[in-house]
Amino acid sequence: MNPHPSSCSNGRSIRTRFARRFLRALKKIGSKGSSSRPSPRDISWRCRRVKIAADASMASAVGPRRVWSRTMLNMLRSRSHACLHASRLGNSRRPGADRHAVGKRKRLVLKRKLPNRLGLNQVNQLRRLVPGGEAMDLDILLDETAHYIKCLATQVKVMRSIVDYCSA
Amino acid sequence: MSFPQLQKFSIAAARRFSFVFYIEYSSTRTSLLPSLPEKYDFRNTNPSAQQMSSINKHEENPQITPFETPSNDDFFEKMLSAIPNCCWPNLSSSPKFSWDANLGHHTALKSRDRFCPAVDDPDATSVDCHLDEAALLDSASKLSDHQINGVDSSVPKSFLLQQQLLFSKGVGGGVGAEVFSGGYSGLLALPLSLANGDSVDSRLLDDRSKHGSAEALYNGIPGSLHGNGETFHHRKAGRLPVQNYETPTVTVQIQSHGGASPGGTGTVLQKQRVRARRGQATDPHSIAERLRRERIAERMKALQELVPNTSKTDKASMLDEIIDYVKFLQLQVKVLSMSRMGGAAVEAPLVADISSQVADAGWRRNAAQTAAVGANDNLSVAEHQVAKLMEEDMGSAMQYLQGKGLCLMPISLATAFSTTTTYCNPITDNPHHQSSSNGGTSGGGNNHNNPLLASNRETPASPSLSALTVQSSAVGKGEGGGADAHVNDSTYAPKPC
Repeated sequence: MNPHPSSCSNGRSIRTRFARRFLRALKKIGSKGSSSRPSPRDISWRCRRVKIAADASMASAVGPRRVWSRTMLNMLRSRSHACLHASRLGNSRRPGADRHAVGKRKRLVLKRKLPNRLGLNQVNQLRRLVPGGEAMDLDILLDETAHYIKCLATQVKVMRSIVDYCSA
Repeated sequence: MSFPQLQKFSIAAARRFSFVFYIEYSSTRTSLLPSLPEKYDFRNTNPSAQQMSSINKHEENPQITPFETPSNDDFFEKMLSAIPNCCWPNLSSSPKFSWDANLGHHTALKSRDRFCPAVDDPDATSVDCHLDEAALLDSASKLSDHQINGVDSSVPKSFLLQQQLLFSKGVGGGVGAEVFSGGYSGLLALPLSLANGDSVDSRLLDDRSKHGSAEALYNGIPGSLHGNGETFHHRKAGRLPVQNYETPTVTVQIQSHGGASPGGTGTVLQKQRVRARRGQATDPHSIAERLRRERIAERMKALQELVPNTSKTDKASMLDEIIDYVKFLQLQVKVLSMSRMGGAAVEAPLVADISSQVADAGWRRNAAQTAAVGANDNLSVAEHQVAKLMEEDMGSAMQYLQGKGLCLMPISLATAFSTTTTYCNPITDNPHHQSSSNGGTSGGGNNHNNPLLASNRETPASPSLSALTVQSSAVGKGEGGGADAHVNDSTYAPKPC
């Protein structure tokens, strides 16, 4: 496992763990839809699934050691439960969730224009960006942000290499 | 260092080390002084008033004279009068002289230019030598009785002056520091002596638990002077120049300044009032606060290393960069997850959303650097692939391009880029635009692909680009319909290629 909780310096191990889980998830998703011309809805659903898979595999690769990974896992789990329930009622819930997330982002963007006092504005933004950052002290938040950035970068690298491999 | 500053320094040092002086003397007198370093072993040197005066002669007087000469007598008288019956036994002129002379000698050995001015008045000092010694001893004893610090300026000005003279002569390591409890310009020597006389000081200060204070002084010389000067100031019953009175405010701070340095405890000298180091505090809350701030600063530095190509050191702008970078990475994950599936139509709303985010984040620079898509190598392959895909379905072609971090661009724009830019990424340009309905989406798609996935290659692939241009033009029919949209969108792109 990662001996350095404060850094993804063993990115290789995190990278491989993440890659393995992600590929597994991708396989699952790929096996679900097979039509050559998937409907837009299916496509968007699949996109979301891929993103969720990416986040989930990243969070589980990091493990519960980090606050942000714990938060993310909890979020995904609760979301999956909600989706499960929603799917029973109908597939109307997912797009709504997405729209909600989009709206949230727009609100975040608007707030940024407020005058900045002591960097509080930015700190709040950072809290919103990093999962689980709402209830953290500033120094812990910065620590988590550093780890989060490292893992995100790893994620991007792996995903991009997968894309290149698949499309080449 | 200006004279007032010197003064403050000297006064503070005097306060701090007045007791040291006492200890030093007493131990000397009683021959209890243990293994002092040879250079500090002034006991053995042969004292003489002449020696003293000669030594003093070296040192300049300019700094001291204004204060010393006129007030020396007053100072000494005051000191003598203020000193109670001290425990200085058998104060004879010779031992005093020897001691002072030795000190002066030693300090002179290590005198520095700064200190030269300190003791330069041989006449003034020599004349007052005996007086000084007695006064010094008495004052030292008094100081020891009165805890030296801020109780009341039992240390007459002359006492401090004398010490300063002795000290300024060369700051013979710790000895000088010890002796030098006051003085004016001689205090400059204080840091030197403090730095040198750690061991000596510790020995001498042990019994008074002055070690901390010595350390504090070493650490916080500029400040500690004030601390000493504070008590000194109290004593100066108006006989001192006005400048001396300015020190108390500063001295108070510095007193604890030195005291806090040993470990932030604040209690340096025995029975010394605990005062906060300048800029620091001694109560646990502020210490914790300070630690927290240090931790935060440390983590900000670590984050600064993570975020690429940032030259900002300011906290607020650094936070901005961090936030932008996190958003950018999250965006990249999203785009990459989309690139593998979905069609252009489905992507459009998501992509538009992303583009708005990117536009707001203004994340261009980082995008250019970090979003390197390895399409450079197999550019021709990608080209063919794109051409093929475009024949089937524009959406899948767009998907493919996005997966590679490329975008569609009108040839005119691409040629303009390739001729004018220094660094660029080989962007597959294709004049073949989608239908107007897709034009917006593809434009939007191109838009964010540009900032997101532009490669960070420095060399412009102009030849390949022009080859692309030729080939693409051969493949498709250029349409000027989406050109405007592309031109507008291209403004989001980083350095164009």
